[in-house]
Amino acid sequence: MNANKIWAIARKDIGHYFASPLGYVVLAVFFLVTGFFFSLIVEQTRSASMIPVFQNTIIVLLFITPMITMRLWSEEEKSGTAELLRTSPLTAWEIILGKYLAVCFFFLVMLGATFVYLLIMMLAGNPDMGPVLANYMGYSLSAMVFFSIGLFASTLSENQIVSAVLTYGALLILWVMGAAASSVQGPLGEVFKYLSLFEHLEDFFKGVVDLSHVFYFASLIFLSLFFSVKVLESKRS
Amino acid sequence: MIEVKDLVKSYGSLAAVDHVTFSVPKGSILGLLGPNGAGKTTTMRVLTTSLTMTSGKVTLDGYDVAEAPHEVRKRIGYLPEVPPIYPDMDVISYLKFVAEIKEIPSDKKANRIGEVLEMLDLEAMSRRLIGHLSLGFRQRVGLAQALLHDPDVLILDEPTRGLDPKQILEIRKLIKSLRGRKTIILSTHILPEVSSTCDDVVIIDQGRVVAADSVENLSQRLAGGKTLEVEVKGPAAEVEKALEKTEGVTSVKAVGKEARGLCKFEIVTDGSTQAREALFQCVVKNKWVLYQLNPLGLSLEDVFLKLTTKDSAG
Repeated sequence: MNANKIWAIARKDIGHYFASPLGYVVLAVFFLVTGFFFSLIVEQTRSASMIPVFQNTIIVLLFITPMITMRLWSEEEKSGTAELLRTSPLTAWEIILGKYLAVCFFFLVMLGATFVYLLIMMLAGNPDMGPVLANYMGYSLSAMVFFSIGLFASTLSENQIVSAVLTYGALLILWVMGAAASSVQGPLGEVFKYLSLFEHLEDFFKGVVDLSHVFYFASLIFLSLFFSVKVLESKRS
Repeated sequence: MIEVKDLVKSYGSLAAVDHVTFSVPKGSILGLLGPNGAGKTTTMRVLTTSLTMTSGKVTLDGYDVAEAPHEVRKRIGYLPEVPPIYPDMDVISYLKFVAEIKEIPSDKKANRIGEVLEMLDLEAMSRRLIGHLSLGFRQRVGLAQALLHDPDVLILDEPTRGLDPKQILEIRKLIKSLRGRKTIILSTHILPEVSSTCDDVVIIDQGRVVAADSVENLSQRLAGGKTLEVEVKGPAAEVEKALEKTEGVTSVKAVGKEARGLCKFEIVTDGSTQAREALFQCVVKNKWVLYQLNPLGLSLEDVFLKLTTKDSAG
C-alpha cells in the first residue's frame, strides 16, 4: 500500500465534493439543523452540554450519509473512469481507503461547525471537557461506520440511487436493531442488542469511553471496507 | 513483446473471446479489426488487466497478465472505449492525478505533463474543465492520460472515435510517430485506419481470429495476386471469347455494361507474367484497343467483408 496513491485518490474525491453544489448544500443543511438544535437546546436547558445536540443530530447524519457516499464508486463505474483506476498500478485497498479518507475529510469539515457551538459554550459557561470529548468520539465513530457502509453500498451498483437506497436500508436496520432486541427474547435478542449501534453509542453520550464499544465500531468499519475491496476485486471477472 | 495465446473469455455459456492467439513484436503497431461486438474491447480489457480471462495465457514484456497484473499495469497506457475523464476536473489537475496513481516521480511530473500537453496540442485547454471540452478534446485528454507515464505498451480502443477528419489525421500521425519506440495495439472498425497506421492486422469476428498477417500480405494473399482488370475497346462478346482462349487465362468475367465501345473484364490468370503479355498480344492482333490492364489486389475493405461475412453468406 502506498500512502501517496491513497492520498491522490482522496484528494480527487474531496475535489468532487466541492466541485458540485451537492457538497455545499449538504454542509449548509447540516449547519442549519445542528445550529437549530443547539440554540433550541441551550435556550431550554440552560446547561453547557453538547449531549442533546449530538443525540438529535446523529439522525441527520443518517440521512446525509447516502448523499455523500452514493457517488464514491457508482460514478466511477458509470462514467468509465473505473477502467482507469483498475488498469493503473493501484490495489483495491488503495482505492477504497482513498475514497474512505475523502468522505471522512468531508465529515471533518461538517464537524468543524460544531466547534463553534463548543466555543460559545466555553465562553458562556463551563462545559465538562471529558464528556464532550467522549461525545465527539462516539459521534465521529458512528459517522465513520455510516460512511463505510455507504461506500460498500456504492461498490454494489453503478446506479447512484440504488446505492443510496441500499445505504438507507442498511443504516435504518442498524438503527432500529435496538428496538428489535427488546422485543426478542433469549440469545437472539442478545445478538440484536450487541449489533445495535445505539446500544454502543449510549455510553459515549454518557461520557464513558469503553474500548469494547470502540472495538464494535472499528470492526464494522473494517468489515465494510473489506467487503468493498472484495467487490472491487470481483469486478474484474 | 505481447503474446496472446488461446485467450478465452466467456460469460456463462457465451464466449465473447474464443481461443484468440496473436503476438505483437516490440515497436510495431497491431490493428485489431472487427465489426462491433466482435470481441475487440474484451480482448483489450483482458490485456490491460481490467478483466480476468477464462483461460489462456497473455504475457506482456514477459509478465503474465493473470499472475503479475501489477507489473503489467506499470507498463501499459490504456485508452478505453470511453475516455476515462472526470468532467469536474480541469485538464492539468486531471493529469496530475493520473501522474500520481501511475507512479511518476514528483520531480518529473510537471515536465512530463507539459510534454504530453504539447504532444496532443492541449496547452490552450489546460485550465479548462474537461466537462466543458468538445468530444475531440476529451478524446485527446484520454490519450494524454495513456501516454503520460511513457509506457512501453499502448492499448488504444478506437483512438480516433469522435474526432473530425483533421483530428483523425493528427492522431494517426501521432500514433505513427510512436512506431519503433512503443508497442501499440489499436482497435478500430474503420479500415483505412489500419492500412494507414498499422504494420500487422488481426481480424476478429464473433470472438474468433479469422485472419492475422501483415497488412500487405493479407490483401495479397486473399486476392492471390492473380486477378487482372482489363478494359478493351471493342465488341464485348467477341473480346470475351478471344480473351478466354488466351494462354494462361482460367476465367473471364464481364464487369459492368459496355459503354462507349469500352468493355471491362475481370480475368483470373495462372499468375504468370506471360498471361499478361498474351492478353496484350491478343488485343493487338484483333485490332482492338487496350485501355487498361491492372493487377487487382483486394482492398482491406474487401478482405474484411469477405472474412466477416463468410458464414452468413454460406
